[in-house]
Amino acid sequence: MGSGTWSTNVYDAAARYRAATGASAFAYSDGGATSTHDDLDPFGVTVRESRDSDEHPESLALAVLFDVTGSMGNVPRTLQSKLPGLLGLLMRKGYVENPQILFGAVGDATCDRAPLQVGQFESDNRMDDHLGRILLEGGGGGQMRESYELAMYFMARHTAMDCLDKRGRRGYLFMIGDELAYPKVKKREIAKIIGGEPAEDIALESLIAELKRKFDVYFIIPEGAYHSGDDRLPEFWRTHLGQNVIRLDDLDAVCETIALTVGLAEDAVDLDEGLSHLREFGSDAGTSVSRALAPLSSGRGAVTISAAPTGLDPADTEVTRL
Amino acid sequence: MTERSSAEHVVVVDLGYGDAGKGTVVDRLCARGPYAAVVRFNGGAQAAHNVVTTDGRHHTFAQFGSGTLTPGVTTHLSRFMLVDPLALAAEAGHLTALGARDALDRLTVDRDAPLTTPYHRAANRARATAVAHGSCGMGIGETAAYALASDEAPRVGDCHSPARLRRRLTLLRDHLFDELGPLGVPGVEECAEAFGAFGERVRITGEGFLPGLLRAGPVVFEGAQGVLLDERFGFHPYTTWSTTTFANALTLLGEAGAEARRLGVLRAYQTRHGPGPFVTEDPLLDRPERHNRRGRWQGAFRVGHLDAVALRYALEVCGGADALAVTHLDVPAPLLCHAYDLGARITPAADLTGQALLTDRLMSARPRYVATGEDPAGAIEDALGVPVTLRSYGPTAADKTTGDRARTAGAVAV
Repeated sequence: MGSGTWSTNVYDAAARYRAATGASAFAYSDGGATSTHDDLDPFGVTVRESRDSDEHPESLALAVLFDVTGSMGNVPRTLQSKLPGLLGLLMRKGYVENPQILFGAVGDATCDRAPLQVGQFESDNRMDDHLGRILLEGGGGGQMRESYELAMYFMARHTAMDCLDKRGRRGYLFMIGDELAYPKVKKREIAKIIGGEPAEDIALESLIAELKRKFDVYFIIPEGAYHSGDDRLPEFWRTHLGQNVIRLDDLDAVCETIALTVGLAEDAVDLDEGLSHLREFGSDAGTSVSRALAPLSSGRGAVTISAAPTGLDPADTEVTRL
Repeated sequence: MTERSSAEHVVVVDLGYGDAGKGTVVDRLCARGPYAAVVRFNGGAQAAHNVVTTDGRHHTFAQFGSGTLTPGVTTHLSRFMLVDPLALAAEAGHLTALGARDALDRLTVDRDAPLTTPYHRAANRARATAVAHGSCGMGIGETAAYALASDEAPRVGDCHSPARLRRRLTLLRDHLFDELGPLGVPGVEECAEAFGAFGERVRITGEGFLPGLLRAGPVVFEGAQGVLLDERFGFHPYTTWSTTTFANALTLLGEAGAEARRLGVLRAYQTRHGPGPFVTEDPLLDRPERHNRRGRWQGAFRVGHLDAVALRYALEVCGGADALAVTHLDVPAPLLCHAYDLGARITPAADLTGQALLTDRLMSARPRYVATGEDPAGAIEDALGVPVTLRSYGPTAADKTTGDRARTAGAVAV
């Protein structure tokens, strides 16, 4: 027994919790690293797995890959510090019961030292470790294209997910960037960066069709990157992803935007309800999120869910979701 | 994996009135044993388990497991624990200062555990001025009572739901104000903010977590307070609002299909904090007390001779122990009480009214002593019929010896 050895001052406690953050979100890059961390190196990886466990049954895979090349400016650094909040946000409102999140980064296979970095699907804070190990390279070429196709190839062919295998539900893939993909995945880049080699190069279109069988794919264009204002960017991605292209004018709202997008797609909330949750959390991201997500939810009135939740038919993704 | 999980879990409880040295025993188990996690299963922030490391660092563990000063040892606060996020922050701060910088990262908390708030604490103190049967003034009883009475009691999981947390804090505050009049307490907004920050920082877990932890390797269950203070089997009304026997730990283990060894801890003399029966009390028995003082809300710290009658009662009501850990063997009591002058065994009554009658009898009972002798651990073993497997002669892990009587017979202070 005892009697209150430790102070119970309410203000001190709040300040202490806020101050007591873990290691720097940028520890790896700031430590002078110049190549992909071993944990994030895709070379030789058979599959990154999202599996159910006793603790996390009915897992749902969610991957967030962001462009870390020079054109993104300070955006990757902001993302690296914001994204650790995503898991809590998804779970707090019950948008997703058991999310498993994978973080990764996209560079340029034609010239970067870290053209692709991919963590593991995790259900806990370990995902933050992966995030912290992402190298913010700042390279990239000058042609307004990065190797998103290589990242999409990895996600399509080198992931295995119980949500899909056991329950026929696709995972979610968010890419955040300000450039276009190359028109083909080149087999020699695959051999060099991921390992294994398909018989021939794969056209972007057929790759994306394949990817959509596994993931509901979104592209987020953040304000503040070099090409953010270029109209070719949303046009290009809309051609491939339909309405799943999101313009985000407030980078601080990235977690809220992703969480709410998933919440909408999972039919866990409607936009108004989701925005009121944001206010409840004390987030002032509502306006930006509302603008970003309006195209996804407007003009559809009541929620419509595609009859086949399996998502195994690529044509599925073309029907109006939600 | 098979090898690791074949080592046994162990539940550590205090067979007396608290203060027996559970902290130092748990520290020893984690520092020298295979245990990688500590699970708390009763009480709350009122616990004060003192640990001194071999290099001289001292920490009073209240909510963190007493194994925390061993690098990598994690703490899980189960749903039976009353969690006080405010006191936890300060405790984490001191652990950081002692070098355990990742203490909060090594902590998990069950989402169903009730929260102790400044409102509970203020109500506890307002009432304690009227009633005097030993309270810590930390709001533990208030928390437990309110959690039993109300479906809207704030719980750890609410820290992830700001609106629900605010609603529940408001209901609680208003409920206590109605009953006790206005209390000097921080506002709901301030509390909600601090609890929210706690929820952001600390990993909150659901029901599958503990079974997974138990499968991963052997775990120490660290009890708080002592069996003789148990809400049901203690000497009513001088008890605590908590189940202090092995019961909660066994419930958690049972849910996971796991088992554990039961370790009872006692000092080589008897102590009690605050009022209540203490048959072998001897104010002339001078024992150095490093960490326990008179508490404003608890009353005096009292010492006395070994009480085998009370200890046998404790063993009976908690279903027995597999082994004992005896602390303070460097300063054992000279006398051991083997019987009271009541002419009958003391046994648990059918209800709290019966327990209160038992208390009355104990208040006037007189001890019958024998000399403890040269081998106090052996005398305890004989009096209680349970083997002593851990002997402590001082505050640090290095001051302890393990093994059965034959091997350690004649062991002197290490």
